[in-house]
Amino acid sequence: MRTLRYQRPEGVEAAVSAVNATPGARYLGGGTNLVDLMKLGVETPDLLVDVSGLPHHDIEELPGGGVRIGAAVRNSDLAADPLVRTRYPVVSQALLAGASDQLRNVATVGGNLLQRTRCLYFQDAGKPCNKRAPGTGCPAIEGVHRNLAILGASPHCVATHPSDLAVALAALDAQVLVEGGTGPREIPLTELHRLPGDRPERDTVLEHGDLITHVRLPAAPEAVNSAYRKARDRASFAFALSSVGAALEVRDGLVHRVRLALGGVAPKPWRARAAEERLRGAPATPEAFTRAVEAELSVAEPLRDNAFKVPLTRHLAVRVLCDLAGRAGGPR
Amino acid sequence: MDILRTPTDLAQRGHGGVGESASRPDGVLKVTGEFAYASDLWARDMLWGHTLRSPHAHAEIVSVDTTEALSVPGVHAVLTHADLPAATHYGLEIPDQPVLAGDVVRYHGEPVALVAADHPETARRAAARIRVEYAELPLVTDESTATAPGAPVLHPNRSDHYADRVPHPNVVHHQPVRRGDLAAAKARAEVVVTGEYELGMQDQAPLGPESGLAVPAEDGGVDLYVATQWLHVDREQLAPVLGLPRELVRLTLSGVGGAFGAREDLSMQAHACLLALRTGRPVKMVYSRDESFVGHVHRHPARLRYEHGATRDGRLVYVRGRIVLDGGAYASSSPAVVGNAASLGLGPYVCDTVDIEALALYTNNPPCGAMRGFGAVQACFAYESQMDRLAAELGMDPVSLRQLNAMSQGATMPTGQPVDAPAPVAELLRLVRDRPLPPPRQWETAVGTGTGFDLRALPGGLSNTTRGEGVVRGVGYAVGIKNVGFSEGYDDYSTARVRLEVVNGEPVVLVHTAMAEVGQGGVTVQAQIARTELGVAKVVLHPADTRVGSAGSTSASRQTYMTGGAVRNTCLLVREEVLRLGRERLGDTHPGWRGDGLWLRDGAVVTAGGEVLADLAQVLGDDVIDLEREFRHRPTEPLDPENGQGFGHVQYSFCAHRAVVEVDAELGLVKVVELAAAQDVGRAMNPQAVVGQIHGGSVQGLGLAVMEEIVVADGARVRNPSFTDYLIPTILDTPTMPVDVLELADEHAPYGLRGIGEAPTLSSTPAVVAAIRAATGLALRRVPVRPEHLTGT
Repeated sequence: MRTLRYQRPEGVEAAVSAVNATPGARYLGGGTNLVDLMKLGVETPDLLVDVSGLPHHDIEELPGGGVRIGAAVRNSDLAADPLVRTRYPVVSQALLAGASDQLRNVATVGGNLLQRTRCLYFQDAGKPCNKRAPGTGCPAIEGVHRNLAILGASPHCVATHPSDLAVALAALDAQVLVEGGTGPREIPLTELHRLPGDRPERDTVLEHGDLITHVRLPAAPEAVNSAYRKARDRASFAFALSSVGAALEVRDGLVHRVRLALGGVAPKPWRARAAEERLRGAPATPEAFTRAVEAELSVAEPLRDNAFKVPLTRHLAVRVLCDLAGRAGGPR
Repeated sequence: MDILRTPTDLAQRGHGGVGESASRPDGVLKVTGEFAYASDLWARDMLWGHTLRSPHAHAEIVSVDTTEALSVPGVHAVLTHADLPAATHYGLEIPDQPVLAGDVVRYHGEPVALVAADHPETARRAAARIRVEYAELPLVTDESTATAPGAPVLHPNRSDHYADRVPHPNVVHHQPVRRGDLAAAKARAEVVVTGEYELGMQDQAPLGPESGLAVPAEDGGVDLYVATQWLHVDREQLAPVLGLPRELVRLTLSGVGGAFGAREDLSMQAHACLLALRTGRPVKMVYSRDESFVGHVHRHPARLRYEHGATRDGRLVYVRGRIVLDGGAYASSSPAVVGNAASLGLGPYVCDTVDIEALALYTNNPPCGAMRGFGAVQACFAYESQMDRLAAELGMDPVSLRQLNAMSQGATMPTGQPVDAPAPVAELLRLVRDRPLPPPRQWETAVGTGTGFDLRALPGGLSNTTRGEGVVRGVGYAVGIKNVGFSEGYDDYSTARVRLEVVNGEPVVLVHTAMAEVGQGGVTVQAQIARTELGVAKVVLHPADTRVGSAGSTSASRQTYMTGGAVRNTCLLVREEVLRLGRERLGDTHPGWRGDGLWLRDGAVVTAGGEVLADLAQVLGDDVIDLEREFRHRPTEPLDPENGQGFGHVQYSFCAHRAVVEVDAELGLVKVVELAAAQDVGRAMNPQAVVGQIHGGSVQGLGLAVMEEIVVADGARVRNPSFTDYLIPTILDTPTMPVDVLELADEHAPYGLRGIGEAPTLSSTPAVVAAIRAATGLALRRVPVRPEHLTGT
């Protein structure tokens, strides 16, 4: 019989050293993903270190206009925060597009970033999966994959990252503050998650024992004009087939600042840098938006049953940009 | 008997009689979370059962070793096929399903072994230590693999009564319905449309998982508390498996968290009883959500090919159809599903020449059986899609074409059966068509957001995918026909026991039936009937159990008709007894006792004119009237195996829908903004419950149209056994649903009522898909329709 230990340390140091000392340890936040995976036998931790009691519950305004968010902040609290809603509406919208009220009341910011893929094969401990059991193969490539990646996948894994929040944070160049026992460090959110390559078992660059303590949103004046949109199989309570987080500032009809990230289409929140590059200085027109997004998606490699995601994502991204361009002159 | 038809008098109205929206006795408990479901059952010293299931869809069982599992501390019993005490197979109609798999497993998730332990986790972990060696066998997954030369025969040596007439042993049942001269009709047809259609596998998705508690009794029998749809048919299957006479197998209904057909077959019943009898301890079993998805049958997926011939002015000349249903590994209710699909495969239309055949396959896919509207749902999607194609081909309005061909009372079914009750098909279509359409661009006028903008009225909903750009509206119609009650010669009956006595001066009625209340509101209606017929305010419902005679199944839209009919008839006999006693004891006190038309109202015997003769307390004294009687609907007959002719059905039920959708064709997202229904219910026994049934059926049909599908892949395995991955409509996916109710009495039925539960599930799906087709111009031959089917990639 498997036994499982549970700890609820008082401080960050104690939490980190507890996990560092136990190879099979996991941090526990809201548990909305980890506990599900434990029930499925996908995660089999020996030790759960509950970090929800650590002092990471605050949303603080930083000098210079940024915001620092504690990793234990609940999704619902973050979505409702007035500072976040006014300065970074894309974050609030992304959170509200995910899960249900009940889940958002429990799920934490740190846990949201580290949730695992909804790929059916990853969730099924009885099936091969390179992400769950390295070297066993990827049945999704020939199997059920309509919801999986069109960008950034590898012959070893075609999973998508399920987070909505992470897409918004990727667009905003958020920094992830990590404590790993050797002092705090910052990782750009766009570099937190890995592409699978030949090591799909590693979702992120974090090492065992690394604890996300905060997420820092840098000042981004254009984020006032930002939005998140998500296409899914029903109106609520479903993961993204495709999603777009974007911020846009237009001056004299030209794109001055733009931030664009895609979700539900890649193993990580997909910062659309190629599209952004094309857009800077370009006219803020539907045609220019379309060309830019097409450039981003030109590297897409859809599978047998998910080619629909390419035009879906293009339409969605162009719409968000058009919408933001329409509003750029002021509130409607 | 006219006096029976006065239930709407004011005194009764206040008490919740027939025709009123009496509130549900279980309603408050359910919405406050206090209602005890079967998963809440508990007994002192109970053990927990767990089922070890096959990881393969088709395999030979080479060996089973339970040694390690038995050595786990806390384990009290491990059972395999070798431990079965008596009959080794069961089944609703054909006993082809092993209680525990013996030499072979035929579907992914088939029960192989059982464990009873002192904790559910102990049981689960011990089950994981049972060593089963399998040798995988080739899979049969569809018609071509099932009937290919050399295909594995899944059930060799069949002895069921369909075995001799099926074209292949992997066909469970095959039913042709043929009428008219096809060759002559083909020559007359001026326009012909053909189409092929497909429906994915829908799940009933009851919120309550399969669960029950088996308690061994001192007399060697067992008491089973269980969430089921038919206590007595469970018992009929259990007794031989347990090797007990049926009177030692006693069942009591526990709280049922939805059924929709999923609880017609046995799931954990036999397993829990076997473990309880083996261990001498109460055994509880509750399926987890993912286990529930493999632990009950699903709606038959289907492939259908139709050919409709018509004259240039739109009259149907002939209809041909071939309906292939995937029954999965075991027969379950496949024969009845086939019978419905074939006999109702024309739809609610008149056509003299019909050639329809339906068949169900044995495959290694998950077993399929009962689900709301079975057989008729699959056919309705295809024939209604065909009617739209025919209308387009003729350049006719699709509603007009349907009305032109609509059946009405006096029509003849393709089975030759006369339609001898109202069949207001054209009128139902008119009702939904004549409703004003919801305003265009409703999202701009919707109130409450302060922005003049309501995302909820748009495709994508709160996902914020559009502000109206690229959104196209479509409107679609459909109408369907469903049989009510058990058909094809089945001796279908229900039983009610009614007891009348006076307690503390107040007359009290006890109604005792074995009807499974699965959420449909049958308990509400039973009390309404008793109040109306016996004029007694206080009605107590006895828990449903096998101490009373069978109520039949809570399925086939039949319980208000059948158990409602049984309660009514037994109440009438109780009333006769009251009047007999009254005349005997008090006949000399008032001349009114000698008159006709005496009835009961407000706890008293009254004359036809309403004069009170005596209180029930005076009449009864300390006597108790306690009667139990059976009620039968009129007999039906089997369909002829060659041509499907026969008086096969008890009653028909009709519903029409108009769906209004907004489609975001670029993103492939659909918002059903309104789903209007019109249904003839014969008599609205409880108007609020009627509307609730129509709403529920409509949404279940909407789910099949745009999202619900069990994904079977990777070797015939269910790939999405969770409510995260098997999507059912949320309230945000649920449209406005205006309802028109007709009450055209069926003189054959109690109160003239018509079974209502299933018909709204039929036409909802094709109406929604027709609306999407109207918006997009796409053919859309398969449901559910998903974004990728609309974006053209």
